[in-house]
Amino acid sequence: MRLLTANTGSYPRVGDSPEQQRLRRAYSSWERKEISDEEFKRVQDETTKEVLEEQITAGLDIVTDGQIRWYDQISHFCGKFEGCKIDGLLRFFDTNFYFRQPVIIGRVIWRGPVVRDEFIFAKGVSSRQVKPVVTGPYTLAKLSINKHYKDFNSLLIDFAEAISNEIEELAKAGAQIIQLDEPAILKNEGDFEIFERAIEEVSGKKRNAKLALYTYFGDASGLYSRFQDLPVDIVGLDFTYSKNLADVIEEFGSKKELGLGLIDARNTRMEKEDEVLPILMRVLEYVEAHQAYLNPSCGMEYLPRDVAFAKLKNMVKIAEKAREGLK
Amino acid sequence: MRDKLARLGLDLPILPTTTVGSFPKPPELMEARSKLLAGKISLEDLRSLEEKATRFWIKKQEEVGLDVLVDGEMYRGDMVTYFSENLDGFKISGLVRSYGNRYYRKPIIVNKVRWRGPITVEWWKFAQGLTEKPVKGMITGPYTMMDWSFNEYYSSRKEACLDIARALHKEVKALADAGAKIIQIDEPAISTRPEELEEFAIEAMEIVTRGVDAYFINHICYGAFEFIYPEMLKLPVDNFDLEMSNSELDLVELFKKHSFTKDLSFGVVDVHSHIVETVETVRKRIQKALEVLKPEQLWIDPDCGLKTRTVDEAIGKIRAIVEATRMEREALSAR
Repeated sequence: MRLLTANTGSYPRVGDSPEQQRLRRAYSSWERKEISDEEFKRVQDETTKEVLEEQITAGLDIVTDGQIRWYDQISHFCGKFEGCKIDGLLRFFDTNFYFRQPVIIGRVIWRGPVVRDEFIFAKGVSSRQVKPVVTGPYTLAKLSINKHYKDFNSLLIDFAEAISNEIEELAKAGAQIIQLDEPAILKNEGDFEIFERAIEEVSGKKRNAKLALYTYFGDASGLYSRFQDLPVDIVGLDFTYSKNLADVIEEFGSKKELGLGLIDARNTRMEKEDEVLPILMRVLEYVEAHQAYLNPSCGMEYLPRDVAFAKLKNMVKIAEKAREGLK
Repeated sequence: MRDKLARLGLDLPILPTTTVGSFPKPPELMEARSKLLAGKISLEDLRSLEEKATRFWIKKQEEVGLDVLVDGEMYRGDMVTYFSENLDGFKISGLVRSYGNRYYRKPIIVNKVRWRGPITVEWWKFAQGLTEKPVKGMITGPYTMMDWSFNEYYSSRKEACLDIARALHKEVKALADAGAKIIQIDEPAISTRPEELEEFAIEAMEIVTRGVDAYFINHICYGAFEFIYPEMLKLPVDNFDLEMSNSELDLVELFKKHSFTKDLSFGVVDVHSHIVETVETVRKRIQKALEVLKPEQLWIDPDCGLKTRTVDEAIGKIRAIVEATRMEREALSAR
C-alpha cells in the first residue's frame, strides 16, 4: 500500500502579511481599471506560484493550483459556457462562502477549454504532480436556475457533455489525476441514477488520466457502496460529516483508490495525530487498491492562509507516521 | 400575539412597521473608524460620532413614521464579530474569503464562552432615551454565532451552541431588565443544517428566551427557511421576520399546507437593490401576505438590514413601507 498526500482543491489566496495581499490589492485596482488585464494576470500567475510553493514546502506529493483565479467553483465554469447567465450571490452549501448562481437561458454548450491553460501553467512551474480540479455536471446543474430545459435531467446531460470536453482537454494536456467535485449528490441520493449516467459520460473522455470523484459537505456513508460501482478510479470522501464512514469502508472494502478527507478544512482546530492515525490505519486495511491519498476534507479556502499551511504540514507528518506503520 | 403586546404595555397599530436592525453609517463615521485605528482620533471622538449618527436615525425613523424603532447599529461592525469581541472565549482569525474579492475575519471559539457583562444594553438605553416609540433590543443568535465561528474548544456544534445560548440569555435578561419589551434575535444561519433544528437549535433558543418576559422576534434571512418549515414554528419566539421580496418562494402555497401560527414580520423591500420600490409594489406584497395571514399576525419591514444602502435609499425604502402600510390600514378599516 502506497499512501500519498494531496490537496483537495482550493487554497487561501490571501494571507495576513502585506505581501500575501498582493492579489487582493491587484483585484481592486483591476476592477477600477487602474491596471491592465495583463498586469492582473501576472499577479495571478505569481500568486499561483506562491501557493504551489507553499504546498510543496509543506511536503505534499500532489498539489493543486489553489484555484486562485476562480471567482467560485460554479461560475468559473458556467460563466464560460453558452446558455448560462451569471446572476446573484448564493450561499455555497453550508459554508460562509458565496457563489454567483447561473441562470440557464439557452442550451448549455462548451465553447472551449476553461481550466486547461491554468493547469498547463501550474504544471510548468511546479516540481510536484499537479492535480486539476473540475466541478462536476451534477453540482453545476443542481446549483443553477433552469429557465430553459423542460426538465433537470436534460440540463444535466448537456452539462455532462460540456464537462466531458473539459476532462478530455486536461487529459490531453498531460493530467495524470483529474478531480471531479460533486458535493451536491450527497444531499440528493434519490438522483443517483441520473448522476451515474452523467459520471459515465464524463468518464468516457478521461483517456489515460485517473478520474477522482470527490464529494464533501455531507455524509457519504449512504452512497459509498454505489460510488464503488462508478467508472471512476479514485473516490474522495469527507470524514468530518460522518460518524460511521470508516465502518462502511470496512464493510464494503474498496476496489478503488480512496482520497481520505481526514483533515478538517472547515475548522482551525489542529488535528491531533492520535485522532487521525487510528482511523487512517484502520481504513487503509480495507483498501484493496494499491494506493490511497490523505487529503483535507474539502478545498482549503475556508481557512486562513497560515492555518491551511500548518494543517498541510501536520497532515504530511501524520502520513509519514502512517507509512512507518504500513511497512 | 396582540394580547402579549398589550400585556407588555405596547400599544401598536395594526400592521406595525419596523426595520430589521442596521442603517447605513454616515461617511464621517466610516472614516472615523479608520482614523481611530490610525491613532488620529480618540475612542471618545468615535463614540460621539456614533451617538450623533444614532440620534440622526432615531429622528429619521420617527419622521418617516415607523412604529417600532431600532438603534441602527452605528456602533457595530459585523453582526457575529461584534458579539464575539464582547463575550469571553472568542478570538479572531486571519482573513477568509467570503466571495469575489471580499475577505473577513472569522471568530474562533478558543475557550468556554461566557457573558462578561452587558453588551448592547447601554446603546439600547441611549436610543430608547431619544424616543417615545419602542426600540427593539437586538442580538445575534446562538446558532449563527456558532455556525459562523471556527470552534477549537467544544467537542461538538451542539455543545458550542448551547453554551453561547447560556451567555446570550444573560444579555437578553439584561436588556429586559433595562426595559426592552421587544427583543429581536438574528439567526440568519438557522436553516444551514436543517437536521440541527430539532437536534439543538430549538433548545438553544429556549435557553436564550427562558423566563424573560418580552416579545421575541426571530430574524431569518437568505430565504432558505422553507427547509425548516413547519418545524421552525417550534422555536419559542413570537414573531418570525423572514426575507420575502428577494425570494421566489410561494409563501401562499407553503402556508396553505401548514398554517403559520406565529406573528410574521414580512420583508417587503429588497435591501440588496438600489432601486426604491414604489408604494404600489410594496402594497401588492402586503396584500399577498394578507391572503394567508390575519392582519393581527402581520408586521411590515424590509427583508434585511439596510446598512449596505445609501442614506437616501434607506430612507426612500422605509417611506415606501410606511406609506403602503398606511394605505393598507385604511383599506382594512373601511372593510
